[in-house]
Amino acid sequence: MFNQGGLSLDQAPPLSVVLRFFVTASIFGILLGLFLLSQSLNITTLSSYSTQLIIIHTLSLGIMASFMLGALFQMLPVLAGVVIKTPTTKAMIVHTLLSIGVLVQLFAFGISNNSLLFFLAAAYLGVALFYAIYLMLKELIKIKTHSSSSKGILFTLLSLIFTTIFGIYLLLTLGGFTSGVDFTQIKEIHYSFALFGWVSLLIVSVSFQVVEMFYVTPSYPKSISKYLTLTILELLILKTILIIFSFKSTSITAIVSILFLIYATITIDRLTQRKRPVADATVWFWLFGMALFILSMTITFIGSFLPIDSTLQHLSYIAFIGFALSIVFAMVYKIVPFLTWFHLSNQGYMEAPMMHDVIHPKKAKIHFYIHIITIAIWLLTTDITWLGSLLLTISFSWLFYNLTFAIRKYIYTQKHCEKIEW
Amino acid sequence: MKKFFLDARELAHPEPLRISLEYLKEMSKKDYFYMLNVRKPIPLLELAKDKGYKLFTHEDSSENWHIIISKDQQKNLEELLDV
Repeated sequence: MFNQGGLSLDQAPPLSVVLRFFVTASIFGILLGLFLLSQSLNITTLSSYSTQLIIIHTLSLGIMASFMLGALFQMLPVLAGVVIKTPTTKAMIVHTLLSIGVLVQLFAFGISNNSLLFFLAAAYLGVALFYAIYLMLKELIKIKTHSSSSKGILFTLLSLIFTTIFGIYLLLTLGGFTSGVDFTQIKEIHYSFALFGWVSLLIVSVSFQVVEMFYVTPSYPKSISKYLTLTILELLILKTILIIFSFKSTSITAIVSILFLIYATITIDRLTQRKRPVADATVWFWLFGMALFILSMTITFIGSFLPIDSTLQHLSYIAFIGFALSIVFAMVYKIVPFLTWFHLSNQGYMEAPMMHDVIHPKKAKIHFYIHIITIAIWLLTTDITWLGSLLLTISFSWLFYNLTFAIRKYIYTQKHCEKIEW
Repeated sequence: MKKFFLDARELAHPEPLRISLEYLKEMSKKDYFYMLNVRKPIPLLELAKDKGYKLFTHEDSSENWHIIISKDQQKNLEELLDV
């Protein structure tokens, strides 16, 4: 993880920068679980379209974007050697605007006919995401010699620009501010950039460095680490052009899914070649995530050529969500204990908790078991059930507990432990 | 003069950093820390520099990095290189 870019005390962002995003993401996860539970028990009765939009955007923005932006604030200095100055204030601005934006957007989807809410959601989310992109891109473009990860993150942020622009257009259309003649096409472009260009490419880019560093595996083949991210971005741009000019773009989707299938297979292969294969929940999350990615991309590939029924389609979506969450959980259980220990240790606290005291590996294992059962139930039912919803709520509640436990350890150590100069 | 040695070539992140920091805290002025790694451990080097340690780094022909760190600014660290 900590490659040539390095990490000094100045470069490691304060714990609050990262944890504010992670804690918020876990709260959105709990809220999503409770919402789905109320839907499955008919306590709330929203239209299926509103429900779909709420689920998708709580997952993609409230949960995934929060986790991913938080992780980027922490990892950019590490993976790309770039420093975001005064990260605490900047992270607070992004985090606040994003959180408000997500909530307003969810209310807009729930109420449906309130133009002002759609406008406010577009404004808050637009400012939050463009500001975050600006902060990161302006540093990334200064890099003279890119690593495969830093280059990939740059392409990921470009994809996020497209995702945000088209997302704003869709929100304004739903609010009645634009005619929305191209609504269906723009929606497809928006989803392509969000799922393939933002979520998947970021995971791919980060994995080029972290898989080898965290798990002592052989490196990815040069052809993959050097060209995969750019190729996928180019394919997504080509797909956009084809959609805009009303040409069929299914062959592009098929190629993208094949590329991701190759990537996921190589990642599993690398993880099985670990030099010290100890039982570690974060590796299990990675392996499970990649298996789900393979399932999702296989269905996407088949769906590019053959008609597939809605059950199979749902299976693909659930597998994709499971993939993204698995990798995010793997990263959280690596980042939080390390950062907590690192900051306390370097502040000179004699009795700074070790990483396994911050979040014990057993707690991560328990989360893995909850997660695997949750995803299994969702895959088996491919529908909103009370059991799947309850398990999702438990999964994020457990994560929330683990994160707040780490925060309490940090604060306790600062308040009660003795400092040394070294 | 005691040598604190760590072969970190097959250790997963962040174990090398954790063990190195423990050694650095434990070392007296006369001692030195010697680490073998597959990559240059920039975070450790930056931290050690930040804390006023003297550093020496060398990449050998097998692309292994030899890192030598001491509190003693007068010590010739290159002499301690073992390749």
